[in-house]
Parts: sequence; structure tokens; C-alpha cells
Amino acid sequence: MADEFDVEYIRGDDREARILVRGLTPAFANGLRRAMIADVPTLSIDTLRVVENSSVMFDEMIGLRLGLVPLTTPDDFEYGDTVTLSLDVEGPDTAYSGDLESSDPDVNPADEDVPIIQLNENPSGENQRIELEAEAVLDDGKSHAKQSGGVAVGYRHLRKVSVVGDRGEFDEEETNILRGVIETEDGELVPTDEFDHDLTERYPGKELEVEDVPGAFVFHVETDGSMTVEELVLRGIDSIESRADELQEKVAV
Amino acid sequence: MELRVIEKTEEELRIEVAGEGHTFMNVLKGTLLENDDVAAATYDVNPEQSGGQTEPILSITTEGGADPLDVLEDAAGDVSRKTDELRSAFKAASA
Repeated sequence: MADEFDVEYIRGDDREARILVRGLTPAFANGLRRAMIADVPTLSIDTLRVVENSSVMFDEMIGLRLGLVPLTTPDDFEYGDTVTLSLDVEGPDTAYSGDLESSDPDVNPADEDVPIIQLNENPSGENQRIELEAEAVLDDGKSHAKQSGGVAVGYRHLRKVSVVGDRGEFDEEETNILRGVIETEDGELVPTDEFDHDLTERYPGKELEVEDVPGAFVFHVETDGSMTVEELVLRGIDSIESRADELQEKVAV
Repeated sequence: MELRVIEKTEEELRIEVAGEGHTFMNVLKGTLLENDDVAAATYDVNPEQSGGQTEPILSITTEGGADPLDVLEDAAGDVSRKTDELRSAFKAASA
């Protein structure tokens, strides 16, 4: 049962990456995926104190929109901890997520350019205005999707493609679509978008064999900006480990 | 995580693991099945809306005289060891 894990970043940046992990069991891969989606907590706005809202939207709609703004989440927060942010914009102007002012320098909107609402001048002459204080709370994706740090997290098997011969002379050339990452015969890892997801583009006129590589999973991880991909994966692993440790401790008693 | 033993014999254990879901239970079950002393391991969860027993129940049957509680403790340790190794593998890859 000696596990040899091997991790390789195929491509990616802070927000989105493809990561090859070897040596995982399917149960473990899925546990990690689920943990990244639902168990890694992030900060999201949850309650508002509205001072003034003369915009065309109800307070509740503004609240929903603010809740969906991803906030950067440092790792020293506990469940239920809150951070206050304020918003004060007067029309004619558009209120953006970047207009939110945070009381904590480490907690800020991950993107500055999420439109919250457009504020105009009313026919009577006064400008629409929005002024509010918002409480962001740390919680996980099980309670609300806005608290989920991973927006697109999934995995596919790594697939090995080998050339077994030439395509029959009179066979029809059919597209051979495959998505994910392939391993070639010389062990090279190639994301399928490099050849338009069509194996006949890469191996024209060849007969191919495609098979799953056991225990090798290519994770696609995309975050909403609350944390980097690496942070998200590590916190997902932490989440499983903390539960395993807790179980071990409780069984031992 | 609250544990409640429902049934325990020398080679069988049924235990409720309150507060957990598929995420952890399936990892745990998968790890239990890697142990040669485990004859069978499974868990059952019912959806929240179904009423009644909605917390997961883990069932373990051992063979060769192993105590199921010890086996469970070992499995939890194994999961923890794996996450530890996985973490270092990730850190090594991104460094």
C-alpha cells in the first residue's frame, strides 16, 4: 500500500490549471474534487446594512449580487468570522465590485470590474445613490454556492495513445475526438486542445489505441479568485486530513 | 464529527459518523478496502429530505480476527498519511 504520488503541473496560472496526479485511487480523487468544491471555505458577503438605496433594484437584489462577488480569502480565518466592507457610489455612475472598501487589507474583491448596478439620474433631477455596509462571512460551499472557492473543478483519466499500425488504405477518415490530456508513446504529455481534440490531426493515417492510465488523474481546477489554484488544492487536502485525524482520535478513545 | 456505535461484535462494526458526507466516507471506505483484514466495508447515506437516518452509517466486517475498531483507526491513519504525502507531492511540484 505504499503510495507514490507524483504531481505535475501541465499548464496553468493562479486561477486555472491542469494538474496531473499519479498514484491516486478513484475514491481519493473524487474526495479531493468534492472537498475543493464544497469544503474549502471562502468569504462572501452575507448580510447588508443599507443606509441608502435609491437605485432601481431592491435591497435584496443588490444583496444577492454582492454575495456573488468573490473575495480574497486568507487562510487565518475561522468559520463564522466576518469582515465588513462598505460601498458608497452616487450616479450617474456604475457601482463596481472595485468600489467596495474593505476593513481588512487582506480581504478584497478578487476582481475589480464586476458590475453591481448602474446608477442614473432620476427624472426628478436627483441622482440615484447607493450606500451600504456589508458583512462577509467565512463559510463553505455546502451552505451556499457563493461560498465555494472552486468554480470548475473536475478530473479525467490520463489516456495513453499508442500507434498500432496504419489506417487501412480504403478506410474512411473519421474524426477521433478526445478531450483532456494524452500521454504519447515517448511519455510526452499533450493537452488535446493542441491538436483540436482530434487524434487524426496529430496522427494522420494511423490506427491508434487509446487506453486509460490506471491511477493517473488530470485535474482541471479553476478558482473564483478567492485563492490561487495551489491554495485551493492544499486546503482541500487539509480538509480531508483534518477529518481523518479527528476520526482517528475519536476511535482511539 | 460525532461517532455512535450501533452494533459491535468481534468481527463486525456498524457505526454512525454524524456530520460527514460522501466526500470523506467514500475516501475512508476506499482506504478500508485496501486492508487485507477487511472482508467488507461499505457506507450508507440517505438524503436529508428522506427523514429518519440521514447520517452516514459505516459497516465493516473483518476477517482473520482483526478488531474492526482497530481496523477503522488504522484506516483513518492511512488516509491522514496519504493526504500528507499528497500535500508534499503538490508542494514539490509547484516549488
